[in-house]
Amino acid sequence: MGDKFKVAQPWLTLLARLILGGVLFAAGALKIGSLQKSAMAVRAYELLPVSLANFLGYTLPWIEIGVGLLLIAGVAVRISGLIGAFTMLAFIIAIAQAWARGLSIDCGCFGGGGAIDPEDTKYLSEIIRDIGLLILGIYLYFYPKGRFSVDK
Amino acid sequence: MAANNSGDKGTRNLVIIMVAFIVVVGVVFSLISNRSNSTAAVPASVSAADGYGIVLNPNAKPTIDVYVDYQCPACRAFEILNGGYLNEVIAQNKAKVVFHPMTFIGPESILAANAAACAADENEFVAMNLAIFQDQSPNENSGKWQGDAMLNIGKSIGINSAKFEACIKDGNYVKWTGNVSAATAKANVNSTPTIFVNGKQLDRNTEYGDPVKFRAALAAGGVK
Repeated sequence: MGDKFKVAQPWLTLLARLILGGVLFAAGALKIGSLQKSAMAVRAYELLPVSLANFLGYTLPWIEIGVGLLLIAGVAVRISGLIGAFTMLAFIIAIAQAWARGLSIDCGCFGGGGAIDPEDTKYLSEIIRDIGLLILGIYLYFYPKGRFSVDK
Repeated sequence: MAANNSGDKGTRNLVIIMVAFIVVVGVVFSLISNRSNSTAAVPASVSAADGYGIVLNPNAKPTIDVYVDYQCPACRAFEILNGGYLNEVIAQNKAKVVFHPMTFIGPESILAANAAACAADENEFVAMNLAIFQDQSPNENSGKWQGDAMLNIGKSIGINSAKFEACIKDGNYVKWTGNVSAATAKANVNSTPTIFVNGKQLDRNTEYGDPVKFRAALAAGGVK
């Protein structure tokens, strides 16, 4: 069991890096075409003061792109994985509170976002997806060394 | 082996520097481009104090704020359903009505908002507003509103002035649309259409899609 994990671990790290990094990069890249929508999506969570929500809406896509690139290249994997995990935790909390308060919003995870019809909300699947990504980020924090990475 | 390791370290640092550069440039660019630009040309009927909206009947009361994006289907539906009554309110000077044309759906929203502002300078905003919605494409940024489309919509409601043509072709008020967006972001408007009567938002579940309730909501806000 232990030996098997030793063999598989670098490949699992590679897989986790590519999935978490790829998702973060795509999520950021899809948002930078419409930062107005991105800011609108953050405001729709009704969690942060408006000025902070707008700031986050304009800047978060770039952070996602940056962390995504680092993970894909395999640079500073430990800290990038941790930032990725922390980001996912923040998304989970934001979506869960929107759900609990009965807001009807699109998570705006990959562009779009804002208020939508109550029957179109997908909170559960969004949270499950983000929990999966959170676990990948935590895994990368503990096992940062993997295949095909710039980090050695 | 040692040389190899230091080479990896160099690559690693280079990647970190490049990524940091992309993020910093992106963040700075995004923050600057989404700020209000005080030097932008604005239509005569626009007031910075009213969130850079196009103001009709500046001295009437109460105040009705209308936030739309010309490419938003729900806004078109709202205009078809309630625009007639709202225009009656405007024509009879029963309220100050401020239109905030948002542009988050993309480039053709900017073209439409610019054209609406050009029409406002011709005192034809109300007719142009309706005509643009009536011409809305079912697909966002479909190309339908590129080229002379806005000019032709203006002609269809009888705007033929050279000033209007130049205003459309030069995109006189394109920068102003950025100011409207920055103001709507500050006003915490998160979907379209959004209507406020004296600062109180109408009930999205009932008062947008029902002309009787819309009328009642305006009456409750003081529209006589």
